[in-house]
Amino acid sequence: MTLLAQQIVLGLLLGGLYGLAAAGLSLVFGVLKVLNVAHGELIMLGGYGAYWLFALLGMDPFAALLLVIPGALLLGAGLYTGLFGFVVRAHEETRIKNSLLVGFGLALALHALAVRLWTADDRSISTGYGGAVLTVGPIAIPLIRLASLLVALALIAGLHLLLARWRWGKAIRATAEDWQAALLTGIDIRRAYLLAFALGTALAGAAGTLVSVGYSISPSIGLEWTLKALIVVVLAGLGSMLGTFVAGLFVGVAEALSAAAFGGPYREVVGLVIFLVVLVLRPQGLFGRASR
Amino acid sequence: MRSPGGSTEHAWTVAILVAFALLALLPLLTARDDVLNFVFLVLLSITLAQSWNIVAGYAGQVNLGHAAFFGLGALTARTLWIAGTPVVIAMVAGAAVATGFALLIGAAAFRLRGAYFAIGTLALGEILRTTVGNALPEISTLPAASIAGYRLAPRYYLALALAALSVLAVAALARSRLGLGMQAVREDEDAAEATGVSALGLKLRALALSTALAGAAGGVFAYYHISYYPSHPFGPGWTFDALLMTFIGGVGTLQGPVLGAVLYVFLKEYLTVRWVDFHLLIFGALFVAIVLIFPGGLVQALVQAGNGARRRRARRRGATT
Amino acid sequence: MLELRGLEAAYGDVPALSGVTLRVGAGEIVALLGPNGAGKSTLLGCVSGLVRPRAGSISWEGENLLTIAPHLIVERGLAVVPEGRRLFGSMTVEDNLELGAFSPRARAARRESLARVFALFPDLRARRRQVVRALSGGQQQMVAVGRALMASPRLLMLDEPSLGIAPQLVRAILDALVEINRAGVAILLVEQNVRAALTLAHRAYILEGGRVVGEGAGADLLRDPHVRRAYLGPLAAGG
Repeated sequence: MTLLAQQIVLGLLLGGLYGLAAAGLSLVFGVLKVLNVAHGELIMLGGYGAYWLFALLGMDPFAALLLVIPGALLLGAGLYTGLFGFVVRAHEETRIKNSLLVGFGLALALHALAVRLWTADDRSISTGYGGAVLTVGPIAIPLIRLASLLVALALIAGLHLLLARWRWGKAIRATAEDWQAALLTGIDIRRAYLLAFALGTALAGAAGTLVSVGYSISPSIGLEWTLKALIVVVLAGLGSMLGTFVAGLFVGVAEALSAAAFGGPYREVVGLVIFLVVLVLRPQGLFGRASR
Repeated sequence: MRSPGGSTEHAWTVAILVAFALLALLPLLTARDDVLNFVFLVLLSITLAQSWNIVAGYAGQVNLGHAAFFGLGALTARTLWIAGTPVVIAMVAGAAVATGFALLIGAAAFRLRGAYFAIGTLALGEILRTTVGNALPEISTLPAASIAGYRLAPRYYLALALAALSVLAVAALARSRLGLGMQAVREDEDAAEATGVSALGLKLRALALSTALAGAAGGVFAYYHISYYPSHPFGPGWTFDALLMTFIGGVGTLQGPVLGAVLYVFLKEYLTVRWVDFHLLIFGALFVAIVLIFPGGLVQALVQAGNGARRRRARRRGATT
Repeated sequence: MLELRGLEAAYGDVPALSGVTLRVGAGEIVALLGPNGAGKSTLLGCVSGLVRPRAGSISWEGENLLTIAPHLIVERGLAVVPEGRRLFGSMTVEDNLELGAFSPRARAARRESLARVFALFPDLRARRRQVVRALSGGQQQMVAVGRALMASPRLLMLDEPSLGIAPQLVRAILDALVEINRAGVAILLVEQNVRAALTLAHRAYILEGGRVVGEGAGADLLRDPHVRRAYLGPLAAGG
């Protein structure tokens, strides 16, 4: 029983990162109607950013967020301007297909580049306080992962506020809902696209940083995290950042439960199966609106 | 995407089959294993790409779980063959299992459109890979007697025959009612449905053909390798290779996947000698360029170059274009 | 102010507008009438920049609109209330209105614009925090008109504002249009409610099959026999 509770807590902590990873993907998909399957690679890059800041400059990973996030914002702006900005010129159906393919090419290139530059080895950031654990009764909560969960929640809440209060945040939401009406209202939707993509990349970078300190990174985590993000996005549906976060927690817990029930190796499978079931039965997700 | 059929494709079909006929003589002309292994790889890649092309180019859907069928074919064939079944029958059984699985999930899968189909099949592929990886974690190695009696030639000819079969299948498909129906569905599914075409039926048939070829290719893979991890052929790398080869060559055409496969394997082998995995960086970039600039791939580039050359010749002769 | 000359537009092979020439002068209310499919929405689409015409010209105060991006056309002073309203349903009344003043010129005047919108549609002030999706059709139409007004337009274009709205609310909206016009805003009104439109308008054009087939002062067209027969129905036969 205690073991189960422990596993659930760990699953919850990981699920927070799933939610953060998914939020970026969801934002980009919802606004640009572009499915960036290189999202996981962006997470990977964020992780390496934090790792090298730690390895070369001794910078604490949580502090590194202050550099990684703006860096990722710039990277996202660059990727949009140089790449996805062209993809959005197409009509929606073609756009989604093209974005899949372009994202795939980008992922391939980034993965190969990472292997080239940093080898395929696993990396992890071990800070001095790395082993600290908060004990609640019989349950041990690793402090770093708890802090990561809180950071993830804060970032998501921050994003939610940005979208709700900031003028351009509202413009982004309007563009996501009806881009033609947004144009008629005087919104430069290409600027909205750029901002959304940059924000999405920033979230990915942040997620990567948290992964590198609480878990480990390697060039290969890209596909894995893209799939995780996809699972959560499909489960949550589009339109709600907080809903995406909750769905992430759900997937984390579901994985923990299935690992307890069927054994460790199958924890990946349950997420994917849930994903497929939701995809086929309720494509708008648990929190999304009925029209796709 | 261009409409299938036509005299160019016919010419290409003949040319490719002639090339295959010549390749059939290769084992008689050379004893060099490395050459034969290389050509084998090209032939297997042609089948892999061509089979993926059927669903993508003709039925218009991006199947990111193609490796699942390759893997199922390999798993089935390997199991049966090691147990004593003649290899060709094992391969056919592998193809049957792959197709059976495809038809099982096909109806549900095709309810998803576009991106959802793609990510759904991706997830499916990963589920199979993980499950097989967990259920059969140990390496599969041929018994010592088989290793002692291993000869490359039968593998080579099997791959050659399969590659020829896949090219012929696509050639026949392009001209057939099935192919034309698929094209209608690909261009505008709702309009096609309105004229009485059953989109789902066509897509399932395309999927069946595609996965049968992929499963058979898996069988060849299983026959060829002395030892490998059972989950290896289920890896997404195989799908991505097929995707790259087909798009770079020209999706929806007959000669595209063939050209793409040849180019891909050549570059991969050449680049691996100097920079491991670097070919992926190049191909990734090339792929993006193709999606955005040259959606028709090499085939389109060749056609445009051909037109350009014709125009230049005409101008030199003084005729107006 | 707004001048369309020889406008041609098509959707694929299907022609939508042929040689349309049309003017809206300062301070005018111009109605655009015609049956469904006549091309009225396409025309507004061309002016607002969402639809690209095949030929012809659109100029606004001497400037060629065809080379300007849609969101910049709003900055020039043209605002559209689209057919079906096209509001941002998940957002509040206030947010929708605020977004209407997105362009820089409009943003500078947004406080005054908002006050004016609430003065015209007092109902909206009470509902400012409500999510637009929850409002009735008529209230949504008011929000749509308000959102366009927030852009501080000098030309307001409306596509079928009375469609699907209860009659008393239609009255309110049309009255609001008169007031807006009195404040100096020109209006291009596409309307199915021909009688109401012609009563309101200074001038009107009749579009059929993508061509202008009639033009004249509002009152004159009300009396025109073809117009009466085609658009005002048997009940109008009496005069």
